[in-house]
Amino acid sequence: MRRSLIIKSLLTAGALALSVVASSTSSAAGTGMVPFDSAKAGGTLKLVAQAAAGTLDPKVNYTGQFWQLYQATYDGLLGFKYADGAGSFEIVPDLATALPVQSNGGKTLTFTLRSGIKFSNGAPVTVADVKASFERIFKVSSPTAGSFYNGIVGAPACLTKPATCKLDKGVVVNAAKNSVVINLVAPDEAILSKLAVPHAAINPASSPAKDAGTAPIPTTGPYMFKSYDPNKLLVMVRNPFFKEWSHDAQPAAYSDEIDYQFGLTPTAQVTAVENNQANWVYDPIPADRLNEIGTKYATQAHVNPLTAMWYLPMNVNIAPFNNVKARQAVNYALDRAAMVKIFGGSQLAAPVCSFLPPNFPGHVDYCGYTKGATPTKPAKAWAAPDLALAKKLVKDSGTAGQAVAVVVSDDDVNKQMGVYVQSVLNSIGYKATVKPISANIQFTYIQNTKNKVQISVSQWYQDYPAASDFLNVLLGCASFTPNSDASINMSGYCNKAFDAKMQKTLALAVTDKTAADKSWGQLDQEVMADAPVAVAFTPKQLDFISTGTKNYHFSLQFKMFVSQLQTK
Amino acid sequence: MLSFVAKRFSAMIFVLVSISILVFLIFFATPGVDPAARIAGRNADQQTLMQVRASFELDKPLPARYLSMMKHLFVTQDLTSYVNRGAKVLPQLFQAIPATLSLVVGAALIWLFVGIFLGVFAASSKRKWIDPTISVLGIIGISLPVYWLGEVVNLITQSKLHNSVFKWVPALGYVSLTANPWQWFLHLLFPWLTLALLYAGIYIRVLRSEILGVMKEDYIKTERAKGASEKRILYKHATRMSLITIVSLFGLDFGALVGGSALLTEVVFGIQGVGKLTFDSLQNFDLPVIMATVMYASFFVVFMNALVDIVYAVLDPRVRRV
Repeated sequence: MRRSLIIKSLLTAGALALSVVASSTSSAAGTGMVPFDSAKAGGTLKLVAQAAAGTLDPKVNYTGQFWQLYQATYDGLLGFKYADGAGSFEIVPDLATALPVQSNGGKTLTFTLRSGIKFSNGAPVTVADVKASFERIFKVSSPTAGSFYNGIVGAPACLTKPATCKLDKGVVVNAAKNSVVINLVAPDEAILSKLAVPHAAINPASSPAKDAGTAPIPTTGPYMFKSYDPNKLLVMVRNPFFKEWSHDAQPAAYSDEIDYQFGLTPTAQVTAVENNQANWVYDPIPADRLNEIGTKYATQAHVNPLTAMWYLPMNVNIAPFNNVKARQAVNYALDRAAMVKIFGGSQLAAPVCSFLPPNFPGHVDYCGYTKGATPTKPAKAWAAPDLALAKKLVKDSGTAGQAVAVVVSDDDVNKQMGVYVQSVLNSIGYKATVKPISANIQFTYIQNTKNKVQISVSQWYQDYPAASDFLNVLLGCASFTPNSDASINMSGYCNKAFDAKMQKTLALAVTDKTAADKSWGQLDQEVMADAPVAVAFTPKQLDFISTGTKNYHFSLQFKMFVSQLQTK
Repeated sequence: MLSFVAKRFSAMIFVLVSISILVFLIFFATPGVDPAARIAGRNADQQTLMQVRASFELDKPLPARYLSMMKHLFVTQDLTSYVNRGAKVLPQLFQAIPATLSLVVGAALIWLFVGIFLGVFAASSKRKWIDPTISVLGIIGISLPVYWLGEVVNLITQSKLHNSVFKWVPALGYVSLTANPWQWFLHLLFPWLTLALLYAGIYIRVLRSEILGVMKEDYIKTERAKGASEKRILYKHATRMSLITIVSLFGLDFGALVGGSALLTEVVFGIQGVGKLTFDSLQNFDLPVIMATVMYASFFVVFMNALVDIVYAVLDPRVRRV
């Protein structure tokens, strides 16, 4: 997914003097949270953001901003572990008593539902709610209904006729045994992750059969939503029926209330945190405030890597990037350090040229497009651009002198990147222009083949930790639909042989994850030799919290753990 | 007279309908604006996309879509946002109006008071240096862009001097009058002053030049010849005449500001008013909210104009024939 609806980043080049940034997330990977300390509980946590993230419905909302809150409110059968660093990618049983028993070659998953858990409206969580929740994914046309959950038996019928969706064969429940059996059409290597994200959360069977919008749906976690006004405030209070059942999956929360205020500009948000009027800033810190945060407020800043990438998809179906040499030339010419500098400097991003980001399953440190390296003889890491080679490749490709438009979002950072890419393209022999369009429509605009976009600047943030979420989603044939705004394979790259290898690896991952991850690493290098995209850098998350805010922990999956912050 | 009012109001309806059609067509003529994929979410399946398209009636032809949107806006009043799904548009608008009214009415009182007082003072002052000084102050007020001034005010009151002189200034935002009158006042004090400065500057200059112009009129000379005191001439005649200009100017300014033109002040100070709602919806390409706020704003402006025309007609029968 993308970071949020709007990339409101205001960071600009060279302004960062974030020299001493402390990170509290230094504990060893995999360590869980320390036991709950009731003496530190209480108070109100105040979060601020420029804008809300749309519907509050956990089955529909697909933004990092609200997924961060859902981890403290909603639970699925499975969940991601409350732990720092790589440990946060571990999947643990949440509303289920244990990880599922997989049988029938991975096509059948059997769970036992924990008993005694209640929704925030007092009703017990039953297997009927579980079944209804999976049907509701289709009834509300969840964005991932067709991409994550289409493998459940009966899903295709639900996708065509959502109103009458029944998953009687796909989700078989037994109230007497409190068991849930999920039947898949084919084994799915990422099914556990898909069951752990908020779209698979268990909600009351009585939830409306359409997007609930701003009306809160009862929760199971330590918080419930009290009120939501997308223009003003989201209020979360303690769920009176919550009792900790798994410290790893859903630990007890510290603050009594969370007030998420919307409407302040990013610079006003930073000031509010400096004045202790708010505890945390959602939006990216404006460039002119980074210096003071790096110096005066260094102890309140936390920097963590994100498993994400900023990249340049190149349309492989139209000139000039229907020529592999032209695409390789862009990869050689792109100065990733310059892109990092525009984003905010080396504290906020790191140059990469692999498709899978660092810290991600399957990632291999390599770079085929740096000075002195080739896709077949890659270097360990990116070092410097090779303009001479790039120029030669453009000349050899016969595309020199062609007109190329770079389509970017119209916010400061993206526009600067666009101008920079324009200069790169000009320097290697093209006649480049920049086409900045509204940040809100750029993402869908560049997907539609009707718009004939040649090259653009885009971002991809993981949904769940699986290499397929990058390679298969962004470069698979199934993700390419001509003339549609929803065609996430922006390069229009459909290489039948490569696609077959991905399908094979997906199948392999069901039985042998290590071997599959190794295969993904090889596929990463293989596809990058064909260069359907140019990867620029992997971003980092800078969290700025107020002086009184303690117990900061960061998850690679859902970012900062909101429920663990202490304000007392 | 009645037929004049009827004509004026039918013209008003015509203008509003035209504006709504224009907004609607401009929106859908924007390349890449189709909201279906954005509503459906990232990487949505084609079938999901189709269902979203159908549920938001985006698969219907434009005229049908327009009529349906107007029906939801005016008849059933349940038009919902494209971006914040499930959020009804009209309650959002009605919640935003008190914030905008609080901001604009408070600022208007300040600028009217300052503008009239200093304008009359500048026009009447005997001392040579007072008039140019006030004029320069007025120009400074006019030239300071409100978004810049607002940020500087924030920098001083919220950041640089927040821990000393301005400790009493609350965090940015809006507290409603009914919730806490004192906090309402504190939250709005600096927004009022910031917004009022620009208009005070304009009103000072307009009033001053109006008074000086009126002072040259024949009837003032007649007054003088009759032996009226300078004070009486200034207040009873010159200022009163000049205020007519100020009143029509104020009508227009006030209408525009309540209609959403206070948006820069609202954005800088984090006040959730109509201007900010319009600004946010434009940024998000949220057509239902854009439509509602534009209709509201144009209604205000058109209605005020119609009202002014009718009042003129009452006062001056010659206008009725035009």
